[in-house]
Amino acid sequence: MAVAVSMTMNILVCVKQVPEGEAQVRIDTDGRRVALGAGTEFRMNRYDECAVEAAVQIKEQFADTRIHILSIGPRRAEAVIRRSIGMGADDGTHIMTLEEGFVDPVVTAHWLAGCSQARSADLILCGAMSEDLMQGQVGPLLATQLGLPYTTSVIDMAINPEDNTIQVDREIEGGYRQTLVLDLPALVTIQTGINHPRYPALSKLLRANRLSLEILQADQLDLPQSKQQVDRVTLPRKIRDAVVLEGTTHDKAEQLISILSNRSLLT
Amino acid sequence: MNHVGETQTIAVIAEYFAGAVRPTTYECVGFAKALQKLRPVNIKMVVLGDDVESCSRDLAQTTGADVLGIEAPQLSQYNGQVYQAVLYDVFNQKPPEIICAAHSSQGWDYGPGLAARLKAACITGVSQVSARGKEIYFSRDIYGGKVSADIISKTEKTLLTLQPGSFRWNPTRNQEPGLVNIISPAIDPQASNTRSTHIHQASDLDLSLAKVIVSAGRGIGEAENLDLIHKLAAAIPQAVVCGSRPIIDNGWLSYDRQVGVTGATVSPDLYLACGISGAAQHVSGMQGSALVVSINTDAMAAIFNQSDICIVEDLTVFIPTLLEKLSGAKKAK
Repeated sequence: MAVAVSMTMNILVCVKQVPEGEAQVRIDTDGRRVALGAGTEFRMNRYDECAVEAAVQIKEQFADTRIHILSIGPRRAEAVIRRSIGMGADDGTHIMTLEEGFVDPVVTAHWLAGCSQARSADLILCGAMSEDLMQGQVGPLLATQLGLPYTTSVIDMAINPEDNTIQVDREIEGGYRQTLVLDLPALVTIQTGINHPRYPALSKLLRANRLSLEILQADQLDLPQSKQQVDRVTLPRKIRDAVVLEGTTHDKAEQLISILSNRSLLT
Repeated sequence: MNHVGETQTIAVIAEYFAGAVRPTTYECVGFAKALQKLRPVNIKMVVLGDDVESCSRDLAQTTGADVLGIEAPQLSQYNGQVYQAVLYDVFNQKPPEIICAAHSSQGWDYGPGLAARLKAACITGVSQVSARGKEIYFSRDIYGGKVSADIISKTEKTLLTLQPGSFRWNPTRNQEPGLVNIISPAIDPQASNTRSTHIHQASDLDLSLAKVIVSAGRGIGEAENLDLIHKLAAAIPQAVVCGSRPIIDNGWLSYDRQVGVTGATVSPDLYLACGISGAAQHVSGMQGSALVVSINTDAMAAIFNQSDICIVEDLTVFIPTLLEKLSGAKKAK
């Protein structure tokens, strides 16, 4: 158990709400947008959940830590801010967008950077990417906009209060890791596997549900020039000629065995 | 804007690791050559490292493109801050219309930051390029690969990171080699904040040699269901159990059994994907498999686009049935 060292830290964690992995994803009639099926359930992006957990663990180590949550999204996105507070964050800001749909990461980063909590943070944590759009850009773009050092895909980290730095391990290919030291303030994007995010505590969730969040209306914020545009969305091309096995479970099992036997894969 | 027509320059940034150029570099060349079929493009290569003379010559020979080698002791290990500063200096005077790099732990790290500094659009994880009329479209997977988005750059400069495994190109030697220019910029010795690059967990398991892989994904649900995966692997000769990232994150399988971008790249005779959704990060690691069989309850799962045989079933029902029949088949012999 770490001894609490006196160090005042403001941590900002950027979180996003994403559809459940099993969500029905359709292409809108105009072919330009994704439409989610009715009854789609949403949850916190898993990478961001790990970022919140990492922040809460720092707070457990350094008692004078404040964790602020920032999220952009429609009204429903409020749920992930409240869940983060239930996990141990202190408060949150919701930049509310009116519509669903693609937001250029340049715009997202610009809005996040405009928040005073971003400018005053000692440490900003983002998920390495969102599970829905998988761009992995918002963290690096936000850091660049704020003029902060950053690094990505972090799988282990430790704050060093003596020299106001953070040491991180980032995951690279082939079973390698890379150790870096960043001067604070800095931005770090979190890879899953760094921790096992806790469930929100009931008492904290109750407080989270009573707490009033800071709300900013996206349509009243400065809108930077977008640098890319989704022109259309399509079903991905089939890379292989998929044969879909038909019939009962037993039929399918028998067909599979015969396919594997014919290829001498069972002997 | 990336219109078809005037000759543009594409700068391909090689991926340098432990003194050599990684194979993803050639995939980026494959992308540049694919782009060349759509419009006139001049290809240039850039390689950064502490000793790049011989690999620069090799790249110039195999690609026919001009190569800029950037050499400095601080570039022996990858560092995002140093890469951004060095590449910004190289590109800022006369930026190429397109910069491309692999969507790897290097490319996705320095890419968006470099693009922001150059005021370029940044499109990550691109897996396809096409043209319609004057417009060039860069396609990337979204929603775990269930749909693909065609993206247009709206600026003069665009930085792309390319999904590993999406583009192919085989080095050739029957062409005029490009010109090699090696520069040694002065870099502040303190500039790199990389302290070390090290193997995290050493392992003797070489998945690239596996003949049969039975692979588990998040869709297996409970840790207990991993038993079914182990039993299935035991019933198929020479089968090895692997998993996608969530399974390894949960600690259900050891790190050396992860297939995908941050794990192993495999090419077995049979890849049996159980409850794997098929996100690009996983697919990159297994698309070289000879036969892919997938079991998933979600008929829309992206893995089915990468499969030869699709089985829409609950694996907790299907695998026991399969095991029963497999043992029956054995007894019959």
